[in-house]
Amino acid sequence: MVDSITTIITTLGFPSVEAFIAALFLVLAVVAVIVVVSTIKPVLNMFPYTYPNARVRARTGRLFTEKEFSEIVEAENIEEIKNYLRGVPDYAKYIDQYPLEKALDSQLAESYDLIARITPDNSKEVFNFLLKKWDIRNIKSIIIAKQANLNLNETLNLIVPFGALTDKLDSLIEADNVTEVINGLEGTEYPKILEDVISTYNETGLLLPLESALDKYLLENLLRSAATPEDDNTSLLHNYIGTMVDVANIKIILRAKTYNLKYDDIESYMISDGYQIREWKLKELMEAEDVASVISSLEGTSYAPMLSDAMTEYTETRSMSSFEKALDNHVFNTAKTISLKNQFGIGPMIGFLNKKEREIRNLKTIARGKREEGFSPSMIKEMLI
Amino acid sequence: MVVEIGLGTALGAIGAGVAVGMACLGSGIGQGIAAAGSVGAVAEDPDMFARGLIFTALPETQAIYGFLIAILLLVFSGIMGGGAGLSVTAGLVAIGAGSAVGFAGLGSGMGQGITASSAAGAVVEDPDMFARGIIFTAISETQAIYGFLIAILLLVFGGIL
Repeated sequence: MVDSITTIITTLGFPSVEAFIAALFLVLAVVAVIVVVSTIKPVLNMFPYTYPNARVRARTGRLFTEKEFSEIVEAENIEEIKNYLRGVPDYAKYIDQYPLEKALDSQLAESYDLIARITPDNSKEVFNFLLKKWDIRNIKSIIIAKQANLNLNETLNLIVPFGALTDKLDSLIEADNVTEVINGLEGTEYPKILEDVISTYNETGLLLPLESALDKYLLENLLRSAATPEDDNTSLLHNYIGTMVDVANIKIILRAKTYNLKYDDIESYMISDGYQIREWKLKELMEAEDVASVISSLEGTSYAPMLSDAMTEYTETRSMSSFEKALDNHVFNTAKTISLKNQFGIGPMIGFLNKKEREIRNLKTIARGKREEGFSPSMIKEMLI
Repeated sequence: MVVEIGLGTALGAIGAGVAVGMACLGSGIGQGIAAAGSVGAVAEDPDMFARGLIFTALPETQAIYGFLIAILLLVFSGIMGGGAGLSVTAGLVAIGAGSAVGFAGLGSGMGQGITASSAAGAVVEDPDMFARGIIFTAISETQAIYGFLIAILLLVFGGIL
């Protein structure tokens, strides 16, 4: 037996059994390395997300359930809502410090801030850019406050203490008018964004061009920062951000069409490119005659079916809310799909941010309902998303 | 004490190296993933420390299996304890045994680490998930047990033990 094996090995051209074993090992070692590397690579791609995902899942577990929302809705007044939130550690630290809406926004901003800090490097740029949302919101709040001649305390109540501009906020709040606020932003990227529209503001006194320029800057750059995906995770992030941008564009167009606005009136407010709805399609939508034409032009995109369903309600009520609800649900469902599809990557973070946004919106809706006269708990419940 | 090492014994040493090396690679990666998840969970809820530690410790077993087989190989191949060396055929069997426990430990360890990390996340989200998390995490252990059993059978019936 041994002799015959030796003969086979010699016939194969190996000088000895030892040489054959050495060659065999070399081949096996190469195969083993290929197997090990190809097995480890996908696992190592998950590795950077394990820490952030555990933190995010902990916070997801602390989000209010339907039962808890029912309890909050049953609150007699704002003070009872505040008492309820005092028992929730995530909210407790802000509730006694700020008015309710500011406390809720601060909690939301804290969640964005946490994600931007703990997210892995390949998605950091996008989440950091997303944090600018709070800078932009603060700038908008300050210019609105200046326009409305609100006093220092009233203005402070509108400010969320998060973002890169926190050091400048005090001086901006003390500015006398909108132009001074913009001058006070010197040294940041914002005066450049506003320089084209400041003349329109000076002529008309309308804040809309300033607000829309800021919103446009945020969404355009957000989409740009997510536009070159390196892997599955960043590609899903691109999908989520892209859906947000598309939804923002569709909302602007639909709202404009309900007021019979034409291409030239809308164009300056649009984000120039989208995700599913690219530049040429946006032009087509802006040129559409009315709401129905916009929806039929969207045929072939994932937005068409839900908007067609919402069209029936719009025809009856002539209210944009049916479209807005359908589009907001689409963003929520996109985030949900991503979070289920990509549980070991970026999914839980996107899913959490979206759920948190919903939670805050619902809490604000409840607070508004409690402030207004004539809103029963069941009516408020119906308004929740 | 320096031992005269023949080709068979050298093959046995390679088997021991593969057993402990691959099993520890899998166990290390798995444990790293589980630990990262558990640290995240503890950062949000300090009460998670003990449970996080349990999830982190689970992918350790693969390394223990590999380590055990490697020790057996070192002892029975004559490298440790000064016994008789292995024949070339027994040396090849030793490589088979080492590969069985090593590669099984590699896959099982990584898989268990991912599940353990996920379970730590699930428990911090819903504390009632602890028992179910442990069960799901333990399922990935079976592959390592298969590898360990085959390695033992190879050592026994291959004439090494």
